[in-house]
Amino acid sequence: MSLPPIWSFRLRPVPVVAALVSAAACADTLPRSSPYRGEPLPAARPRPDFTLTDTRGAPYPFLAQTKGTLTLLMFGYTNCPDVCPVHMANIAAALHRLPYDVWSRTRVVFVTTDPERDTPEKLRAWLDGFDPSFVGLRGTPEEIHAAERLVGVAASVPEHTAPNGSYAVGHAAQVIAYTPDDSAHLVYPFGTRQTDWAHDLPLLVVVR
Amino acid sequence: MSSGGLQWWCSARGVPWTWSWQAYPGVWILIALVGALYARFAAARRLAVGVLAIVLCWIVLDWPVGPLGAGYLASVHVLQFLTLAVIAPHLFLLGASPERIASALERRPAVRRIVAFATQPLVAAIAFALVLVVTHAPPVVDRLMRLQAGAFLLDMSWLLSGLIFWWSVVIPVPQRPRFVPLLKVAYVFAGTQPHLYLAMWLMLAAFPVYGTFELAPRVTRVSALDDQQLAGGVMLTLGGLYILGVVTVLFFAWAHAAEQGGGDPRVA
Repeated sequence: MSLPPIWSFRLRPVPVVAALVSAAACADTLPRSSPYRGEPLPAARPRPDFTLTDTRGAPYPFLAQTKGTLTLLMFGYTNCPDVCPVHMANIAAALHRLPYDVWSRTRVVFVTTDPERDTPEKLRAWLDGFDPSFVGLRGTPEEIHAAERLVGVAASVPEHTAPNGSYAVGHAAQVIAYTPDDSAHLVYPFGTRQTDWAHDLPLLVVVR
Repeated sequence: MSSGGLQWWCSARGVPWTWSWQAYPGVWILIALVGALYARFAAARRLAVGVLAIVLCWIVLDWPVGPLGAGYLASVHVLQFLTLAVIAPHLFLLGASPERIASALERRPAVRRIVAFATQPLVAAIAFALVLVVTHAPPVVDRLMRLQAGAFLLDMSWLLSGLIFWWSVVIPVPQRPRFVPLLKVAYVFAGTQPHLYLAMWLMLAAFPVYGTFELAPRVTRVSALDDQQLAGGVMLTLGGLYILGVVTVLFFAWAHAAEQGGGDPRVA
Protein backbone atom coordinates (compact mmCIF):
# COMPACT_ATOMS: atom_id res chain seq x y z
CA MET A 1 0.00 0.00 0.00
CA SER A 2 1.37 3.40 -0.92
CA LEU A 3 0.96 6.00 1.75
CA PRO A 4 1.41 9.75 1.43
CA PRO A 5 4.62 11.16 2.92
CA ILE A 6 4.57 12.04 6.56
CA TRP A 7 5.49 15.73 6.85
CA SER A 8 8.90 17.01 7.29
CA PHE A 9 11.56 17.18 4.70
CA ARG A 10 14.70 18.73 6.09
CA LEU A 11 15.25 22.45 5.65
CA ARG A 12 12.28 23.02 3.41
CA PRO A 13 9.27 25.22 4.00
CA VAL A 14 6.74 22.64 2.85
CA PRO A 15 7.02 20.42 5.93
CA VAL A 16 6.41 23.35 8.26
CA VAL A 17 3.14 24.11 6.54
CA ALA A 18 2.35 20.41 6.33
CA ALA A 19 3.12 19.92 10.00
CA LEU A 20 0.89 22.82 10.94
CA VAL A 21 -1.89 21.47 8.77
CA SER A 22 -1.39 18.00 10.23
CA ALA A 23 -1.38 19.40 13.74
CA ALA A 24 -4.58 21.25 13.01
CA ALA A 25 -6.10 18.09 11.62
CA CYS A 26 -4.94 16.10 14.61
CA ALA A 27 -6.55 18.57 16.93
CA ASP A 28 -9.96 17.37 15.89
CA THR A 29 -9.25 13.66 16.00
CA LEU A 30 -6.92 13.13 18.95
CA PRO A 31 -7.16 13.88 22.63
CA ARG A 32 -5.62 17.26 23.36
CA SER A 33 -3.74 15.98 26.36
CA SER A 34 -1.58 13.26 24.86
CA PRO A 35 0.56 11.50 27.45
CA TYR A 36 3.36 11.44 24.86
CA ARG A 37 5.78 14.09 23.76
CA GLY A 38 6.04 12.76 20.24
CA GLU A 39 3.78 14.11 17.55
CA PRO A 40 0.67 11.95 17.11
CA LEU A 41 -0.15 10.70 13.64
CA PRO A 42 -3.66 11.36 12.39
CA ALA A 43 -4.12 7.61 12.04
CA ALA A 44 -2.02 4.66 13.13
CA ARG A 45 0.27 3.26 10.42
CA PRO A 46 1.00 -0.45 10.25
CA ARG A 47 4.55 -1.70 10.68
CA PRO A 48 5.83 -1.94 7.10
CA ASP A 49 7.09 -5.06 5.45
CA PHE A 50 10.32 -4.39 3.58
CA THR A 51 13.62 -6.19 3.38
CA LEU A 52 16.99 -4.47 3.24
CA THR A 53 20.52 -5.60 4.03
CA ASP A 54 22.15 -5.20 7.41
CA THR A 55 25.77 -4.20 8.01
CA ARG A 56 26.86 -7.86 8.08
CA GLY A 57 25.46 -8.28 4.60
CA ALA A 58 22.52 -10.42 5.71
CA PRO A 59 18.93 -9.77 4.62
CA TYR A 60 16.93 -7.92 7.24
CA PRO A 61 13.17 -8.36 6.89
CA PHE A 62 12.04 -5.40 8.94
CA LEU A 63 8.59 -6.68 9.84
CA ALA A 64 9.74 -10.15 10.87
CA GLN A 65 12.81 -8.91 12.75
CA THR A 66 11.08 -6.21 14.74
CA LYS A 67 7.55 -7.58 15.13
CA GLY A 68 6.06 -6.96 18.56
CA THR A 69 8.88 -4.70 19.76
CA LEU A 70 9.22 -0.98 20.17
CA THR A 71 11.17 0.05 17.07
CA LEU A 72 12.50 3.49 16.29
CA LEU A 73 13.05 3.85 12.56
CA MET A 74 14.96 6.63 10.86
CA PHE A 75 16.15 7.31 7.34
CA GLY A 76 19.37 9.29 7.10
CA TYR A 77 23.06 9.11 6.27
CA THR A 78 26.33 9.11 8.14
CA ASN A 79 27.67 12.28 6.47
CA CYS A 80 24.60 14.18 7.66
CA PRO A 81 25.99 17.19 9.51
CA ASP A 82 23.12 17.85 11.85
CA VAL A 83 19.82 15.95 12.05
CA CYS A 84 21.01 12.33 11.96
CA PRO A 85 23.87 12.46 14.49
CA VAL A 86 21.81 14.58 16.89
CA HIS A 87 18.80 12.25 16.68
CA MET A 88 20.94 9.12 17.13
CA ALA A 89 22.97 10.66 19.95
CA ASN A 90 19.87 11.76 21.81
CA ILE A 91 18.13 8.40 21.46
CA ALA A 92 21.27 6.58 22.61
CA ALA A 93 21.82 8.94 25.54
CA ALA A 94 18.22 8.57 26.69
CA LEU A 95 18.27 4.78 26.32
CA HIS A 96 21.47 4.55 28.35
CA ARG A 97 19.76 6.39 31.19
CA LEU A 98 16.66 4.20 31.17
CA PRO A 99 16.20 0.92 33.02
CA TYR A 100 17.59 -2.13 31.26
CA ASP A 101 14.07 -3.44 30.85
CA VAL A 102 13.21 -0.51 28.55
CA TRP A 103 16.57 -0.40 26.80
CA SER A 104 16.59 -4.10 26.00
CA ARG A 105 13.07 -3.95 24.56
CA THR A 106 13.77 -1.03 22.24
CA ARG A 107 15.16 -1.48 18.73
CA VAL A 108 16.71 1.36 16.79
CA VAL A 109 16.91 0.88 13.03
CA PHE A 110 18.73 3.35 10.82
CA VAL A 111 18.30 3.09 7.06
CA THR A 112 20.96 4.88 5.06
CA THR A 113 19.74 7.13 2.28
CA ASP A 114 23.28 7.37 0.93
CA PRO A 115 24.22 3.76 0.18
CA GLU A 116 27.02 4.82 -2.15
CA ARG A 117 29.12 6.42 0.59
CA ASP A 118 27.69 4.52 3.55
CA THR A 119 29.50 1.25 3.13
CA PRO A 120 28.57 -1.49 5.60
CA GLU A 121 31.79 -0.84 7.54
CA LYS A 122 31.27 2.90 7.66
CA LEU A 123 27.64 2.58 8.66
CA ARG A 124 28.51 0.06 11.37
CA ALA A 125 31.33 2.20 12.76
CA TRP A 126 29.10 5.27 12.78
CA LEU A 127 26.27 3.49 14.60
CA ASP A 128 28.70 1.88 17.05
CA GLY A 129 29.65 5.41 18.06
CA PHE A 130 26.14 5.74 19.48
CA ASP A 131 25.24 2.20 20.46
CA PRO A 132 26.44 -1.14 19.07
CA SER A 133 22.90 -2.51 19.26
CA PHE A 134 21.60 0.00 16.69
CA VAL A 135 20.77 -1.73 13.43
CA GLY A 136 22.04 -0.25 10.17
CA LEU A 137 20.35 -1.10 6.90
CA ARG A 138 21.40 -0.59 3.31
CA GLY A 139 19.95 -1.29 -0.08
CA THR A 140 19.89 -0.03 -3.62
CA PRO A 141 18.40 3.43 -4.09
CA GLU A 142 15.30 1.79 -5.51
CA GLU A 143 14.94 -0.49 -2.48
CA ILE A 144 15.40 2.43 -0.11
CA HIS A 145 12.85 4.54 -1.96
CA ALA A 146 10.41 1.65 -1.83
CA ALA A 147 10.95 1.37 1.93
CA GLU A 148 10.43 5.11 2.32
CA ARG A 149 7.17 4.85 0.41
CA LEU A 150 5.98 1.99 2.59
CA VAL A 151 6.87 3.87 5.77
CA GLY A 152 5.24 7.00 4.44
CA VAL A 153 8.11 9.46 4.50
CA ALA A 154 9.30 11.69 1.71
CA ALA A 155 11.78 10.13 -0.70
CA SER A 156 15.41 11.06 -0.08
CA VAL A 157 17.25 13.00 -2.78
CA PRO A 158 20.88 14.02 -3.24
CA GLU A 159 21.33 17.79 -3.26
CA HIS A 160 23.96 20.55 -3.07
CA THR A 161 26.75 18.81 -4.94
CA ALA A 162 29.99 20.64 -4.17
CA PRO A 163 32.86 21.13 -6.65
CA ASN A 164 34.86 18.45 -4.82
CA GLY A 165 32.07 15.93 -5.41
CA SER A 166 30.72 15.87 -1.87
CA TYR A 167 26.99 16.23 -1.53
CA ALA A 168 24.19 16.36 0.99
CA VAL A 169 21.14 14.14 0.94
CA GLY A 170 17.74 15.56 1.66
CA HIS A 171 15.80 13.10 3.78
CA ALA A 172 12.93 12.83 6.22
CA ALA A 173 14.01 14.30 9.55
CA GLN A 174 11.67 12.42 11.85
CA VAL A 175 11.99 9.16 13.75
CA ILE A 176 8.98 6.87 13.44
CA ALA A 177 8.10 4.88 16.53
CA TYR A 178 6.51 1.46 15.94
CA THR A 179 5.06 0.20 19.18
CA PRO A 180 4.60 -3.46 20.22
CA ASP A 181 1.10 -3.41 18.67
CA ASP A 182 2.94 -3.21 15.32
CA SER A 183 1.67 0.26 14.52
CA ALA A 184 3.16 3.73 14.45
CA HIS A 185 1.11 6.22 16.40
CA LEU A 186 3.78 8.86 16.88
CA VAL A 187 6.68 10.45 15.09
CA TYR A 188 9.53 12.40 16.63
CA PRO A 189 10.66 15.37 14.55
CA PHE A 190 14.05 16.99 14.74
CA GLY A 191 14.11 18.94 17.98
CA THR A 192 13.09 15.99 20.13
CA ARG A 193 15.11 16.24 23.34
CA GLN A 194 16.68 13.49 25.42
CA THR A 195 14.15 14.22 28.13
CA ASP A 196 11.36 13.64 25.61
CA TRP A 197 12.75 10.23 24.71
CA ALA A 198 13.29 9.37 28.36
CA HIS A 199 9.69 10.31 29.01
CA ASP A 200 8.11 8.48 26.09
CA LEU A 201 10.13 5.29 25.66
CA PRO A 202 9.01 3.64 28.92
CA LEU A 203 5.42 4.38 27.89
CA LEU A 204 5.83 3.18 24.31
CA VAL A 205 7.53 -0.06 25.21
CA VAL A 206 4.38 -1.35 26.88
CA VAL A 207 1.81 -0.22 24.31
CA ARG A 208 -0.40 -3.15 23.39
CA MET B 1 17.19 27.29 11.77
CA SER B 2 18.63 29.89 9.53
CA SER B 3 21.60 29.92 7.29
CA GLY B 4 23.69 32.39 5.38
CA GLY B 5 23.61 36.18 5.53
CA LEU B 6 25.60 38.66 7.56
CA GLN B 7 25.16 38.44 11.29
CA TRP B 8 25.84 41.48 13.45
CA TRP B 9 25.90 39.48 16.70
CA CYS B 10 26.62 35.84 17.48
CA SER B 11 23.52 33.71 17.97
CA ALA B 12 22.50 30.07 17.71
CA ARG B 13 21.92 29.38 14.01
CA GLY B 14 21.49 25.62 14.01
CA VAL B 15 23.75 25.16 11.01
CA PRO B 16 26.79 22.88 11.00
CA TRP B 17 29.90 24.50 12.43
CA THR B 18 32.73 25.40 10.08
CA TRP B 19 36.09 26.94 10.85
CA SER B 20 35.48 29.64 8.25
CA TRP B 21 35.92 33.12 9.65
CA GLN B 22 32.80 35.20 9.90
CA ALA B 23 32.41 38.90 10.53
CA TYR B 24 30.32 40.17 13.44
CA PRO B 25 30.25 43.95 12.94
CA GLY B 26 28.08 44.49 16.01
CA VAL B 27 30.88 43.15 18.18
CA TRP B 28 33.42 45.50 16.60
CA ILE B 29 31.14 48.50 17.05
CA LEU B 30 30.50 47.61 20.68
CA ILE B 31 34.19 47.08 21.42
CA ALA B 32 35.05 50.39 19.74
CA LEU B 33 32.35 52.19 21.74
CA VAL B 34 33.44 50.60 25.00
CA GLY B 35 37.05 51.50 24.24
CA ALA B 36 36.17 55.10 23.49
CA LEU B 37 34.04 55.38 26.60
CA TYR B 38 36.60 53.66 28.77
CA ALA B 39 39.35 56.02 27.63
CA ARG B 40 37.55 58.78 29.50
CA PHE B 41 37.66 56.90 32.79
CA ALA B 42 40.83 54.84 32.57
CA ALA B 43 43.56 55.42 35.12
CA ALA B 44 46.79 56.13 33.29
CA ARG B 45 48.85 53.90 35.59
CA ARG B 46 46.46 50.95 35.23
CA LEU B 47 45.67 51.30 31.55
CA ALA B 48 46.89 47.78 30.81
CA VAL B 49 44.25 46.32 33.12
CA GLY B 50 41.47 48.11 31.29
CA VAL B 51 42.89 47.17 27.90
CA LEU B 52 43.03 43.54 29.05
CA ALA B 53 39.34 43.72 29.95
CA ILE B 54 38.46 45.08 26.50
CA VAL B 55 40.57 42.44 24.77
CA LEU B 56 38.94 39.68 26.82
CA CYS B 57 35.49 40.96 25.90
CA TRP B 58 36.46 41.07 22.26
CA ILE B 59 37.83 37.53 22.34
CA VAL B 60 34.72 36.00 23.88
CA LEU B 61 32.25 37.94 21.73
CA ASP B 62 33.88 37.64 18.32
CA TRP B 63 34.57 34.65 16.05
CA PRO B 64 35.25 31.85 16.88
CA VAL B 65 34.53 31.95 20.62
CA GLY B 66 31.39 34.05 20.20
CA PRO B 67 29.46 31.78 17.83
CA LEU B 68 30.74 28.62 19.51
CA GLY B 69 29.40 29.81 22.84
CA ALA B 70 26.19 31.16 21.39
CA GLY B 71 25.05 28.06 19.60
CA TYR B 72 27.28 25.03 19.89
CA LEU B 73 29.07 24.40 23.17
CA ALA B 74 27.76 25.01 26.67
CA SER B 75 31.32 24.93 28.00
CA VAL B 76 32.28 27.88 25.79
CA HIS B 77 29.04 29.64 26.71
CA VAL B 78 30.05 29.44 30.38
CA LEU B 79 33.50 30.75 29.52
CA GLN B 80 31.82 33.74 27.91
CA PHE B 81 29.65 34.22 30.95
CA LEU B 82 32.57 34.15 33.37
CA THR B 83 34.48 36.62 31.25
CA LEU B 84 31.61 39.05 30.70
CA ALA B 85 29.97 38.85 34.13
CA VAL B 86 32.88 38.25 36.45
CA ILE B 87 36.37 38.85 35.10
CA ALA B 88 36.03 41.71 32.59
CA PRO B 89 33.83 43.97 34.76
CA HIS B 90 36.23 43.54 37.66
CA LEU B 91 39.20 44.40 35.45
CA PHE B 92 37.34 47.35 33.91
CA LEU B 93 36.78 48.84 37.34
CA LEU B 94 40.30 48.05 38.55
CA GLY B 95 41.68 49.92 35.58
CA ALA B 96 39.37 52.91 36.04
CA SER B 97 40.19 56.11 37.85
CA PRO B 98 37.83 56.75 40.79
CA GLU B 99 38.61 60.44 40.58
CA ARG B 100 37.53 60.62 36.94
CA ILE B 101 34.40 58.62 37.72
CA ALA B 102 33.57 60.84 40.69
CA SER B 103 34.10 63.93 38.59
CA ALA B 104 31.84 62.62 35.82
CA LEU B 105 29.12 61.68 38.29
CA GLU B 106 29.31 65.09 39.96
CA ARG B 107 28.29 66.65 36.66
CA ARG B 108 25.33 64.29 36.31
CA PRO B 109 23.35 64.12 39.56
CA ALA B 110 20.63 61.89 38.10
CA VAL B 111 23.16 59.30 36.97
CA ARG B 112 24.94 59.59 40.30
CA ARG B 113 21.71 58.77 42.14
CA ILE B 114 21.10 55.72 39.93
CA VAL B 115 24.68 54.52 40.39
CA ALA B 116 24.52 55.09 44.13
CA PHE B 117 21.36 53.02 44.38
CA ALA B 118 22.32 50.23 41.99
CA THR B 119 25.75 49.72 43.52
CA GLN B 120 24.54 49.39 47.11
CA PRO B 121 25.96 46.01 48.08
CA LEU B 122 22.62 44.40 48.86
CA VAL B 123 20.97 45.71 45.70
CA ALA B 124 23.99 44.77 43.58
CA ALA B 125 24.22 41.26 45.01
CA ILE B 126 20.52 40.63 44.41
CA ALA B 127 20.72 42.02 40.88
CA PHE B 128 23.80 39.93 40.14
CA ALA B 129 22.12 36.76 41.39
CA LEU B 130 18.87 37.54 39.58
CA VAL B 131 20.64 38.08 36.27
CA LEU B 132 22.56 34.85 36.80
CA VAL B 133 19.42 32.85 37.48
CA VAL B 134 17.25 34.40 34.78
CA THR B 135 19.89 34.30 32.05
CA HIS B 136 20.62 30.63 32.74
CA ALA B 137 17.01 29.47 32.88
CA PRO B 138 16.65 26.98 30.00
CA PRO B 139 13.52 28.58 28.46
CA VAL B 140 15.24 31.97 28.45
CA VAL B 141 18.49 30.66 26.99
CA ASP B 142 16.76 28.55 24.36
CA ARG B 143 14.52 31.38 23.22
CA LEU B 144 16.99 34.26 23.34
CA MET B 145 20.07 32.55 21.95
CA ARG B 146 18.32 31.94 18.66
CA LEU B 147 17.97 35.68 18.12
CA GLN B 148 20.85 38.06 17.61
CA ALA B 149 19.10 40.68 19.71
CA GLY B 150 18.39 38.06 22.38
CA ALA B 151 22.00 36.93 22.52
CA PHE B 152 23.09 40.58 22.66
CA LEU B 153 20.69 41.16 25.55
CA LEU B 154 22.14 38.23 27.49
CA ASP B 155 25.72 39.34 26.91
CA MET B 156 25.01 42.92 27.94
CA SER B 157 23.03 41.89 31.01
CA TRP B 158 26.03 39.86 32.16
CA LEU B 159 28.43 42.77 31.63
CA LEU B 160 26.16 45.30 33.32
CA SER B 161 25.35 43.07 36.29
CA GLY B 162 29.07 42.38 36.72
CA LEU B 163 29.90 46.08 36.73
CA ILE B 164 27.20 46.71 39.33
CA PHE B 165 28.39 43.80 41.46
CA TRP B 166 32.05 44.75 41.51
CA TRP B 167 31.54 48.51 41.77
CA SER B 168 31.20 48.75 45.53
CA VAL B 169 34.21 46.48 46.01
CA VAL B 170 36.52 48.41 43.72
CA ILE B 171 35.24 51.97 43.24
CA PRO B 172 34.85 54.12 46.38
CA VAL B 173 32.21 56.31 44.75
CA PRO B 174 30.01 56.99 46.57
CA GLN B 175 31.88 56.49 49.83
CA ARG B 176 30.55 53.63 51.95
CA PRO B 177 32.50 53.82 55.21
CA ARG B 178 30.59 50.94 56.77
CA PHE B 179 31.42 48.64 53.88
CA VAL B 180 34.71 47.61 55.46
CA PRO B 181 37.15 45.23 53.72
CA LEU B 182 36.05 42.19 55.69
CA LEU B 183 32.48 42.90 54.67
CA LYS B 184 33.69 43.10 51.08
CA VAL B 185 35.20 39.66 51.43
CA ALA B 186 31.91 38.34 52.76
CA TYR B 187 30.01 40.20 50.00
CA VAL B 188 32.11 38.74 47.19
CA PHE B 189 31.93 35.29 48.71
CA ALA B 190 28.17 35.38 49.30
CA GLY B 191 27.39 37.17 46.04
CA THR B 192 29.04 34.47 43.98
CA GLN B 193 27.46 31.52 45.77
CA PRO B 194 24.69 31.21 43.17
CA HIS B 195 27.43 30.45 40.64
CA LEU B 196 28.40 27.46 42.70
CA TYR B 197 24.85 26.11 42.65
CA LEU B 198 24.52 26.74 38.93
CA ALA B 199 27.79 24.90 38.31
CA MET B 200 26.65 21.95 40.41
CA TRP B 201 23.32 21.87 38.61
CA LEU B 202 25.06 21.73 35.24
CA MET B 203 27.40 19.02 36.42
CA LEU B 204 24.79 16.81 38.05
CA ALA B 205 21.86 17.08 35.62
CA ALA B 206 20.94 13.72 34.13
CA PHE B 207 20.18 15.22 30.72
CA PRO B 208 21.26 18.32 28.82
CA VAL B 209 19.27 21.24 30.15
CA TYR B 210 19.62 23.56 27.15
CA GLY B 211 18.03 22.57 23.85
CA THR B 212 20.28 25.09 22.12
CA PHE B 213 23.37 23.02 22.81
CA GLU B 214 21.72 19.60 22.85
CA LEU B 215 20.28 20.00 19.36
CA ALA B 216 23.22 21.87 17.86
CA PRO B 217 25.29 20.08 15.24
CA ARG B 218 28.25 18.63 17.12
CA VAL B 219 31.53 20.48 16.84
CA THR B 220 33.57 17.83 18.60
CA ARG B 221 33.05 14.20 19.58
CA VAL B 222 32.10 15.35 23.07
CA SER B 223 28.45 14.61 23.78
CA ALA B 224 26.00 17.32 24.77
CA LEU B 225 25.85 16.01 28.33
CA ASP B 226 29.63 15.79 28.68
CA ASP B 227 29.92 19.31 27.31
CA GLN B 228 27.39 20.49 29.87
CA GLN B 229 29.30 18.81 32.68
CA LEU B 230 32.46 20.44 31.39
CA ALA B 231 30.60 23.76 31.49
CA GLY B 232 29.78 23.20 35.13
CA GLY B 233 33.39 22.27 35.79
CA VAL B 234 34.65 25.41 34.06
CA MET B 235 32.33 27.56 36.12
CA LEU B 236 33.32 25.80 39.31
CA THR B 237 37.07 25.83 38.78
CA LEU B 238 37.80 28.93 36.72
CA GLY B 239 35.11 31.03 38.37
CA GLY B 240 35.93 29.65 41.78
CA LEU B 241 39.64 30.26 41.39
CA TYR B 242 39.11 33.83 40.25
CA ILE B 243 36.79 34.60 43.16
CA LEU B 244 39.15 32.86 45.58
CA GLY B 245 42.01 34.96 44.20
CA VAL B 246 40.05 38.18 44.64
CA VAL B 247 38.95 37.26 48.16
CA THR B 248 42.51 36.31 49.11
CA VAL B 249 43.95 39.56 47.79
CA LEU B 250 41.21 41.54 49.53
CA PHE B 251 41.87 39.79 52.79
CA PHE B 252 45.63 40.14 52.80
CA ALA B 253 45.48 43.72 51.60
CA TRP B 254 43.17 44.49 54.49
CA ALA B 255 45.45 42.65 56.92
CA HIS B 256 48.48 44.53 55.62
CA ALA B 257 46.69 47.87 55.81
CA ALA B 258 45.50 47.08 59.32
CA GLU B 259 49.09 46.35 60.38
CA GLN B 260 50.20 49.64 58.89
CA GLY B 261 47.26 51.37 60.55
CA GLY B 262 45.95 52.42 57.17
CA GLY B 263 42.45 52.53 55.76
CA ASP B 264 40.71 50.71 52.96
CA PRO B 265 43.21 49.60 50.35
CA ARG B 266 41.98 49.56 46.75
CA VAL B 267 43.74 46.55 45.52
CA ALA B 268 41.25 43.90 44.50
